[in-house]
Amino acid sequence: MKGPKEIFANPRLCTACKTCEIACAVEHSKTKSLYSALAERPQPKRRLYVEPAKTGLNIPILCRHCEDAPCMHACITGAISKTQAGVVITDQDRCIGCWTCVMVCPFGVIGRHLETQKAYRCDRCPDREVPACVSACPTKALIYKEAEDFSRDRRVVVATEMFTKE
Amino acid sequence: MEKTDYLIIGASAAGISAALAIRNNDLKGSITVLTDEPFQPYFRPLIPYIITGQKDEQAIGMLGSGPYKDFELEILTNKRVKNLEPLQKIAYIEEGHSVSYHKVLFATGSRPFIPHEIQGTEAKGVYALRTLGDAKSIANRLIETKEAVMIGGGLVNLKASFALLERGIRVTLVVYSPEVLSQLMEPEDAYLIRKAIETSGLTILSGQNVRSIVSDKRGVRGVVLDSGKEIPCQMAFIGKGVRPNVEFLSDSGIKIDKGIVVDECTQCNIPDAYAAGDVAVTFEPISGQRIVTALWTNAVEMGRCAGFNMAGLRTKYTGTFGIMNATQIANTPFVSMGTVHTKGTDYEVHKEYYKDGYCKLVFSNHGRHLIGVVLIGDISIAGLCRYLIRNKMDVSAIKRHIINRTLSYGHLMQ
Repeated sequence: MKGPKEIFANPRLCTACKTCEIACAVEHSKTKSLYSALAERPQPKRRLYVEPAKTGLNIPILCRHCEDAPCMHACITGAISKTQAGVVITDQDRCIGCWTCVMVCPFGVIGRHLETQKAYRCDRCPDREVPACVSACPTKALIYKEAEDFSRDRRVVVATEMFTKE
Repeated sequence: MEKTDYLIIGASAAGISAALAIRNNDLKGSITVLTDEPFQPYFRPLIPYIITGQKDEQAIGMLGSGPYKDFELEILTNKRVKNLEPLQKIAYIEEGHSVSYHKVLFATGSRPFIPHEIQGTEAKGVYALRTLGDAKSIANRLIETKEAVMIGGGLVNLKASFALLERGIRVTLVVYSPEVLSQLMEPEDAYLIRKAIETSGLTILSGQNVRSIVSDKRGVRGVVLDSGKEIPCQMAFIGKGVRPNVEFLSDSGIKIDKGIVVDECTQCNIPDAYAAGDVAVTFEPISGQRIVTALWTNAVEMGRCAGFNMAGLRTKYTGTFGIMNATQIANTPFVSMGTVHTKGTDYEVHKEYYKDGYCKLVFSNHGRHLIGVVLIGDISIAGLCRYLIRNKMDVSAIKRHIINRTLSYGHLMQ
């Protein structure tokens, strides 16, 4: 059985243009338009972050929707749960902004909305077929696939590279 | 006599998370959860919202929310275990009721410590905020309360103070230490927190001790300091820490040293008995030192570990920091974790004030390991820091990112 689709990132294709960050913030705005989103209050927030990686490459980092999510178990209000589609979600009504989830997330991808005092994270764009960041990426550095398909594709790429080198 | 496969004594963080872990690994075994409280399991950290009136009993319930969605469990309320025979595997409850079990988890938590040096703590209107019952009775007394005095400057009393301020009560906090939150940070680190607290209208009297609480038939009338000064109030709160609930095991043969002593798999000295949460003695992963903590998140983590072991999945508990708090005080977020008291040590310490924030980073004396942080204001790197501390990672290559607070997960990728 295949798992749910996940968002993967390929640092070798990422140019750090941050188009994904903007697309994410716009998708999570009320008006869903860049121009009006800029003026919205509370300010719409991006939920993925293009960061430098150790090797000199850049990589968009976002919630991994962990199998056994530490944030979910650590939450002191029961605001964080996992949907059947494998998406870890934060219930905005229950969240009290204590930031325990921020403290325990080893990826550092849970954002703090200071205006509303609520924690937020990638929700894999529940209203869209393909998440906004993935659609927006001009170099296809972001990939939306089932883990199984993703690893098969990677195997093909690696095998081809090995073959062409010889 | 009742019979059950898994008996869980205590229905808070450790008990309920253990029950869930058991159920996820054993679909058939019967689970019986006992609590001495009259309520269904609830998120204890939310009880200040009962005082403010922002949430009710139902809104703070555990079952049906978060990881406890779609999870059914039978909870027996108002059941206090009097004593236990761990070799016969029988727990005796008050009123001649007893339960026999295959495996037992002690998750009885802790209760407030009431210092006997303080006179008059039995008076009506003296509280130590711990249970939903406490919060409800506090909420009921608000109508006859104008002023409250908080004795002790820890997180519980601060949370209670802000709940009372919200209800229009004048609150004075008396703390013996030179600064509030002395368990979580050194006085010089607490400057921003102190400032935020005072702006919010809470009066702090530091370096002072309470001698007695005066009362009449209506309850508390005031609190007398060592100096002889009396502060009038109709409510007094004692926040002087907690003590593990271990008395019911006193003649059982279960090993106790402050809390219940467990091995690395949360098992007691007698087979098929486990302990987790505030009542258990655990260890600190860096120093290996034995500690008793009283934190929700630690209790859940330990409870889950106990649950896995009870269901037959051998799982080691990785230990926990004695200090690991994230919260927001007077609109100021802060995180304190690991080793944060550095006075008189040779640790490498970096401190920085920036706009609306403060950060203290503690590295080992050779500087290669991060061992503690206090973050006030911008706490974004807290999760990554916890990961670095917990895994004792060599941080030499990324140290400047930690110090500049520009650390991201990308820096940890090969």
